Amino acid sequence: MSNKQLILVVDDDPDLVEAVSMKLEALEYRVSRAYDGEEAMEKIKEEKPFLVILDVMMPRKNGWEVCDEIKKADHLKDIIVVLLTAVADSVRTTSYTHHDGKTTLADDYVPKPIDLDKLMEIIDSYCN
Amino acid sequence: MKNLSGNSIKECVQNLFFKPRVLVVDDEIRIQEACKRLLTEEGCDVEIAENGIKGLKMLEEKHFDILLLDLMMPGMSGFDVLTDVKAHHPDTVVIVITGYATLEHSVETMKKGAFDFLPKPFSPQELRVIICKAIEFIRTLQDIATEKSRMRVMINTLTEGVLTTDNQKRIALANPAFLKMIGCRKTAIIGHNITEFITDPKLLEVIDRAVHQPENTFSEITEEIIIPKGKDEIIIGIRCIPFQDRLNRNLGSITVFHDITDLKKINQMKSDFVSMVAHEIKSPLNSVLMQLNVILDGLAGALTEKQKEILKRVSDRINSVTQLSSELLDLSKIESGLINQDREELNLIELIKGQVEGYREKAEAESIHLSIKDSAKEVYMMGNRMNIEEVVSNLISNAIRYSPNGGEILVWTDEKSDCLAIKVSDTGLGIPAKDLDHIFDRFYRVKNEKTRYINGTGLGLAIVKNIVEAHHGTIQVDSTEGKGACFSVIFPKSEYKLCS
Repeated sequence: MSNKQLILVVDDDPDLVEAVSMKLEALEYRVSRAYDGEEAMEKIKEEKPFLVILDVMMPRKNGWEVCDEIKKADHLKDIIVVLLTAVADSVRTTSYTHHDGKTTLADDYVPKPIDLDKLMEIIDSYCN
Repeated sequence: MKNLSGNSIKECVQNLFFKPRVLVVDDEIRIQEACKRLLTEEGCDVEIAENGIKGLKMLEEKHFDILLLDLMMPGMSGFDVLTDVKAHHPDTVVIVITGYATLEHSVETMKKGAFDFLPKPFSPQELRVIICKAIEFIRTLQDIATEKSRMRVMINTLTEGVLTTDNQKRIALANPAFLKMIGCRKTAIIGHNITEFITDPKLLEVIDRAVHQPENTFSEITEEIIIPKGKDEIIIGIRCIPFQDRLNRNLGSITVFHDITDLKKINQMKSDFVSMVAHEIKSPLNSVLMQLNVILDGLAGALTEKQKEILKRVSDRINSVTQLSSELLDLSKIESGLINQDREELNLIELIKGQVEGYREKAEAESIHLSIKDSAKEVYMMGNRMNIEEVVSNLISNAIRYSPNGGEILVWTDEKSDCLAIKVSDTGLGIPAKDLDHIFDRFYRVKNEKTRYINGTGLGLAIVKNIVEAHHGTIQVDSTEGKGACFSVIFPKSEYKLCS
């Protein structure tokens, strides 16, 4: 196991979580996985990751809520949050996409469909 | 008007759908007979009364269109008859006959409401002219009454609300549909200022803007307002236009109200459905793509060159299916008339700059020179930002895909007195003449050995065309095969000067 920062990957699509995680592991990051907002909150409190890759549309608790909770808690607010938002193409007219990552408390956002290489670049820029 | 100088009442009467009824009130038998003979010959129904009392009695019994009235009669004087007729039979046109054709007399009879004045003795021709004039007058009155009644029925039966004001914003007309929409139960609102009945600030502002529109300009103002109704609310699309006199001065405003609540609801449902479908199709595809990416990176074990090549092709195919699914959804939204209706004033130069910047990297990767031709002044249009961005984006992306390395793409705007244009030209492959008529068709793609390796769904231009048409515009293309293409999107200006 490497000693690079711990990154939490949160999405309700396990295939996506797996693909992102494998890429991150290949870059020698330590990776933790969560599949909905509630689970993400538990892991965040327990493991204190350096960075969270957070999907927006999720069951139980959505990404906006998780992001707000992180950024409003003094002991968590330094965790970097990168949102995965489905701004792309036809989804962009629905109401929730009017907040793009920039208007939330998140540090950055990556539009879905995700360009894995681009996502890795962004992660690297925060971790190095 | 030619009838006024013509000598035949028959000609006048021809266009009338009734036979004019004339009552002659005169004590002179010679005049009675002369009038009766002449006017009967000309096609009128003529009756005689030899004094005022009898004349009034006959008027009580039935309507006469024209009354020929002698002023000087024994018993009741012509003046008194005139006063009575004007009070009780305002629709009867009175022509005064008098032997005392003095100025005072004429002034007095006109004041009392006489239509005209015939001095004794008069020639048959003089009588004809004056009767013709009276018939014309009656006809005009009738036309106005018919028109008014037709308008009233039309406006009152419309399901759209209609509100007309004068230029002081006083209500001149409000149909039942409008009153129902704003929930107004009062009926006596004509003549009152709109602020007494209307509280919606947006609506008040729109009417204010319409009546204060500068002379010589004429533009329709559109807006959406929300009116609470019980627990719910209704959404109303309003269109307000000023109306002007012949010298282009504003006389007031006409506002038409269209209840679009249901349309909005359907729109929302459709939009939700579309986003659900998009999510359900595209997410798994994207997930597949990412896993392929992981394999291609060798993270799941080493790959042979052949395996890599095949997986690369698989990725490309999935990518184009993802693209197709988004475009299909876009197109279905646009075609069902449910494209985003929120329109705003767009600074076209800024908008184009944004799109060009977005494609700069892609163009440079293929050594294509992508630039904006400067325009002298700023160009604005009313439109939906996302839609117009999509138009520009599609045209630029096409130009890049169909241009060989080292090509040149120019984007610019052009403005004329009544329209504005967005143009995108390239030095690419061009479009063969036989394909020109079809490139805006859905799924149509120019197929030849040069385009074989260019990806596309054949939906881009169909989407562009739909958006442009929803903005009342047109799209044109000039192209010679092998020499590039120039696409022009032309929109009418929302505000234009009236030709004087």
